[in-house]
Amino acid sequence: MAANPDTPLFNRTRQAREAEVMLNKLIDEFDDNPASMHYFYDLFRRLFIQGEKVAHPPGAQIGITCIQAPEELIRAVGAIPIRLCNGAYHYDQIGADLMPAKSCSLVKATLGRLHDHEQGVPRVGKLEAIINPSTCDQKKKAGVMMEELGYQVHDLEFPNVKESEPARIYWQRTVRELAVTLQRLTGRRVTRKNLNTAMARTRRAQMAFRALHNLRRKAPSLILGKDVFLITNAYFFDDLERWTSAVEALVAELKQRQQNGFNAAQKKAPRILFTGSPPVFPNLKLPLLIEEAGGVVVADETCSANRMLYDLPAVDEWRVNHMIDALADHYLKPCTCPIFTRNDDRRRRLLDLARDFAADGVVYQAFSGCQVYEMEQRSVARTLQEAGIPMLYVETDYSPDDMGQLSTRIEAFLESIKTRKRQARTQRA
Amino acid sequence: MNYFVGIDIGSTAIKAALVNEERQLVGLHVADSGSLFHKNAKTALQTLLERYSLQREQVRYLIATGYGRKLFKEADDSISEITANAIGAHEAGKAYGGVRTIINIGGQDSKAIQIDDQGTVINFAMNDKCAAGTGRFLDVAAANLDIDLEALGEYHFNGRAAPLSINSTCTVFAESEIIGLLANGHGKEEIVAGIHYSIAKRTLRLAKRVGIEDRVYFDGGPALNKGLVAALQDELQRELVVPAHPQTTTAFGAAILACNEWLADQAIGEQVT
Repeated sequence: MAANPDTPLFNRTRQAREAEVMLNKLIDEFDDNPASMHYFYDLFRRLFIQGEKVAHPPGAQIGITCIQAPEELIRAVGAIPIRLCNGAYHYDQIGADLMPAKSCSLVKATLGRLHDHEQGVPRVGKLEAIINPSTCDQKKKAGVMMEELGYQVHDLEFPNVKESEPARIYWQRTVRELAVTLQRLTGRRVTRKNLNTAMARTRRAQMAFRALHNLRRKAPSLILGKDVFLITNAYFFDDLERWTSAVEALVAELKQRQQNGFNAAQKKAPRILFTGSPPVFPNLKLPLLIEEAGGVVVADETCSANRMLYDLPAVDEWRVNHMIDALADHYLKPCTCPIFTRNDDRRRRLLDLARDFAADGVVYQAFSGCQVYEMEQRSVARTLQEAGIPMLYVETDYSPDDMGQLSTRIEAFLESIKTRKRQARTQRA
Repeated sequence: MNYFVGIDIGSTAIKAALVNEERQLVGLHVADSGSLFHKNAKTALQTLLERYSLQREQVRYLIATGYGRKLFKEADDSISEITANAIGAHEAGKAYGGVRTIINIGGQDSKAIQIDDQGTVINFAMNDKCAAGTGRFLDVAAANLDIDLEALGEYHFNGRAAPLSINSTCTVFAESEIIGLLANGHGKEEIVAGIHYSIAKRTLRLAKRVGIEDRVYFDGGPALNKGLVAALQDELQRELVVPAHPQTTTAFGAAILACNEWLADQAIGEQVT
């Protein structure tokens, strides 16, 4: 029983209003949203505003605090992975009571949401355990606090170097141990058969995402980035098969729209590649501001979308130990998180994405307090500058009070892209 | 004669600039923003037109910029103050042999902008939401010291000791730091110089982020403060181009753009007919 019975209701209301304001903007300020997007709009409305829980088939719910936790293993033992990374300013403020005020908004909000769990974690209910990969310092320490709040936390030891062989071996052992822990938690063994099934289910979802991702290469754009971020955010908690079918339906609709000559953005809308700290609903303010100002987010390199879903595991030998090792490799090698010592891969990937998606500029979001993203900003900016791609660096957090200031910066950035393109055209002519 | 107006609706002041078809500056008007942005902006435009006995119809194109740009529905178009500032400084800087870096300190933000020889923005940096190192910081400090904002420049040069250091990066903390210095018997002159150096240091860091190229143009209301200009020149180790009306460069840029847009529209019209 909560000390004050009114508190949970009040909390729900405040975070619901925050979610409602953002969701309405994402829907109402844009014409011609695809009909298939209504599945996602409706999902967010029911969960975030009306306070419903996500419907899942029976099974233990296991929280994960990062994309580095191999979800296929969790699904193999019949459990359901729920990614806990939170985007609400409301929970960020609750988290600020537990962590230093200058910490990253995402970590604070994630902890803040787990704080008040008398009635079960909002939108999720009971969590059997939380898997906390030891990636950045703040997430590591937040894991300990989750344990203090009464959750069962499994620290997933994650190396800070990814090129070395010792790191690879260390990580493979970590993932094998996770399999053992999951078996103990659920009483079910990881077998070749159920792991194979789990991997096939995730692969189908990834293939649906890839089809959507590849449609975004088209210029003028077929879909706006704000919708894609909503879709990939839904992957955090939605039922896997329902999510996959909804994305497949959207892809089919977009292909139809393409045949009808439909454009979701103006022909000369600046095409933006998004990188840095992940946009998580309701904190979609930066993608929203970009698209309100007439730009279009055509691709991203963030762990709430592309980095989470694009790369596929590669298995050489379909025996359970080899499959687990292959999964481990998949969760380490392609990762472009800034927690690693070097990050040549991230810069390479940005250049590749900018080329493949014909991006005119890059917007780099860093949450205040996320030191690793803040630090990598300079080397990324240098790489892009050498390639002639302008970059806007934005340091922000979950509070809405800098929307005016940010809109000025984003508009100026888009205006400078347009002027430069105009100059280039006149020079050619 | 055709006229064009740029109106910069800032956090502290509304600035309106009037130019003719030759892109020459005809007139300027500055008024307080107050809390009714839209109403005060309309009044400011009216005042400017009356002063030059112009009818609203004679203004062929009007562009709004600044924080209140989207509220001003009377405008033909709106543009961010960064682009407008770049155009204005590029045009005004021609008299000084051209400028490539712009430092702007406004009421609630400060910016550094790098432009190319066409006046196009190459790169820019802006303070992240906090008001330290902006005009607001000077307002608060002047109030604490009980001196007029306009007198700050004079105090700067009258100190007998070295400028004191103001270390707080937050306007609110700096306020208590200033009160502490006063309580310890320090002179207002040394405190004022210290405040100017503190703003100059922050601005230097911002300018370094975009890269400093010659010549550096300094505008925005606080550029009227001679003491701040001296401190900034000292920190940057170079002379600054400070225009005659530093507050209105952005409005002027918007007016130039209004003229360009109108001329471009006319050209397209001729092609069609």
